[in-house]
Amino acid sequence: MTSDETRTMVTRDGGRRSRRRPSRAGRSPMRGWGYAVGFLAPLVVFYAVYFLYSFGILGVVSTQQVGLTFRNAVDVGLQNFVLVIQDPSFHRSLLNTVLFGVISVLVSLTLGFTLAMMLASGIRVRRLFYTVFLLPSLIPMSLFATVFGRMLETKDGAFNQFLRQFGLDAIAPDWLGDPTAAYVAVGILLTYTIGLPIMYYTTDVAQVNASIVESATLDGASVWQIYRIMLFPLLRSTHITVILSVILGSFRAFDIIYFSTGGQPGGRTDIVGTYIYKATLGLDRVGYAAAASILVLVIALAISVIQIVVKRKEL
Amino acid sequence: MKNRTTLTALTLTAAMGIALVGCGDSGGVGGPGEVEQNSGDKATITYWTWFPPQATLDAAIEAFEKENPNITVKLRTFEAADYQKQLPLALSGGEEIDVVGVQVSAMTDSVKDYLTPVDEWAGDWLGGVNETMVEQTAGMASDGELYSVPMGSIGSPLMYYNAEILDSLGLDVPTTGAEWKAAVDAIAAADPGVTPVVFSGEPYWQEEMLFGIAEQKSPGLSDDIIGGEGAWDQQGVIDGLNAYKSLFDQGIVGADVLSLLGSRPSELFAAGDAAFYIDGSWQNSLLSETFRADNGIDLADVGVAPLPVLDGGKPAVRALAEGGLGIPSSSKNVEAAAKFVEFMLGAGGADVWAKDLVLVPSLTGYELPDTVLTSDAARDGFAAATEVISAPTSQRDSQQDFLNQVEGNAILDVLRGTATAEDAAARMQSEWESGRYPHGTDK
Repeated sequence: MTSDETRTMVTRDGGRRSRRRPSRAGRSPMRGWGYAVGFLAPLVVFYAVYFLYSFGILGVVSTQQVGLTFRNAVDVGLQNFVLVIQDPSFHRSLLNTVLFGVISVLVSLTLGFTLAMMLASGIRVRRLFYTVFLLPSLIPMSLFATVFGRMLETKDGAFNQFLRQFGLDAIAPDWLGDPTAAYVAVGILLTYTIGLPIMYYTTDVAQVNASIVESATLDGASVWQIYRIMLFPLLRSTHITVILSVILGSFRAFDIIYFSTGGQPGGRTDIVGTYIYKATLGLDRVGYAAAASILVLVIALAISVIQIVVKRKEL
Repeated sequence: MKNRTTLTALTLTAAMGIALVGCGDSGGVGGPGEVEQNSGDKATITYWTWFPPQATLDAAIEAFEKENPNITVKLRTFEAADYQKQLPLALSGGEEIDVVGVQVSAMTDSVKDYLTPVDEWAGDWLGGVNETMVEQTAGMASDGELYSVPMGSIGSPLMYYNAEILDSLGLDVPTTGAEWKAAVDAIAAADPGVTPVVFSGEPYWQEEMLFGIAEQKSPGLSDDIIGGEGAWDQQGVIDGLNAYKSLFDQGIVGADVLSLLGSRPSELFAAGDAAFYIDGSWQNSLLSETFRADNGIDLADVGVAPLPVLDGGKPAVRALAEGGLGIPSSSKNVEAAAKFVEFMLGAGGADVWAKDLVLVPSLTGYELPDTVLTSDAARDGFAAATEVISAPTSQRDSQQDFLNQVEGNAILDVLRGTATAEDAAARMQSEWESGRYPHGTDK
């Protein structure tokens, strides 16, 4: 094709035909908006009903002393917020939430990363290991935590029975009675939930340019050096995703704690989720629970904002 | 045209949002007002409850429907704790329910605004219901009105025992702390695999134990604090906490018992792995040989007795009317619903559910068929339990939020030795006054 041919298309009858462009005058600028609104409307309505309305109600109820029937509400202003903020049990549950989140992060960044790298290296029966590590994350956590809670029983629980098998009766702890043992128990339980971080790492490590690893191998780098000096830094964005998702997940770990330790001993392993749940159990305490929920929501929101800021800096 | 469509869609969305908020402001569906009644020959009534067990309810409903062929009963049952949340939400959401079971202590105030007062639908048969239980039920409502009619009464704590184990060791049922200790030592020596005493380590159960022990010397203590103006840090509570802890210090109860949650204590007792099982009278079914056989409980003989007296005083039990039956104000079948309640409260219904032994029936003069209890331990035990429940030292009333968040944990801290009785009592009083747990005159 000549250069002239590329400039102009000539019709058979010799007339010129310019490339058709849609006429601005014949097309409504709102046409695209109409489609968008049409497609989005169901989602917007759903969102309005289940989220915005719920948040609105939560805000209103948080200023009331009211029960589950929402009748005979007494306006108490910000009193519920003040009471929640002053409650030592709330402080403890908040600290526990963060602490358990930190434990999960540390486990994910160390054990989770190591296991993911081992699985990605092509070891035998890899699928079996994937199943073993992912299973706790795939089955209902309430079921998993209930079984785990039963295993913590001091006399007949599986953990202490196991220790007794080896003559270690003396160190068999009262898991739900000793605060340290209870924290260890929760730590063990959280360790079982590293399936998703493993999945994140496994997926992202596949994206790493294989030639970099090959070059390092040819240069004589040990496996440990490849993992520590190369792969760990290369997966920085995955670490951030894992850290933030795990910390935010710790705010939703209600079932893990409720069905395993139940907050024992003496409420020392309660997290914000179990605290709020227990707060709704009494008469006229829904407003108080709503105030606690809003405070937790604000804290979780702040963490999300940090996540966005960190991500932007990354980009 | 397209612009107009878009605008209409947005307006509709906004209108829906406003309508939603409007619903919230009006308090939702199912508010007060006259409800048009079903005038047809036939009626189907919906019955929600948590008690008694499904099989018993099915049998009772079958008997009722046989007697009233024009009325059909649709039953929905719940787990007890779940029911406390589900029913208030369902009633406020306008769910069509005609008869509801009401947990007298835990639920009366949370659902009373949606129930029709009993005097508007009950007939003369109400006169045949135990007067004390009716008064207790009315007393649970903040306005003193009767909103449900109790099927019976329950009390706690009671001590169930494996009569076969005690008989084999030549032990009598202990009535004092010293006798209890001797029995526990004998049981432990005879079979280390058997846990002498079990009960729930859940925070909620600790209140039952505390008052069951403390009221042996200080009857009415629970009424004074939970139902009145008494303080949690008074000497009676401190003494009760110390007496309760002495069970662990003396080795009558092992510290590992506090790790038993949910149904584990019951499972251990039913399996013959525990000699004494402390719970409430709702476990009286264990006394029935038929019940045990039907439920695969391989225990030859079971008895029940009040908790042994630990440090002077008399056996103590807190008891309250339970199993209230009410009719929601939104019911369109009040006449049929009232017939069903009358049947359940009367001899026809009681003959079906009373043999479960979960409640001491509220029907005045009602006596269990002789065939229900077959052993001396069961018969004597049931009579003893009924006697203490009929003359309780306090009402079995609890403030659920305070119990679950503060009281239960404070008591457990004393039992585990991480707090003194004085500190725990002071903490309970401080939290009771904090304003976080609305009670009594706070509103």
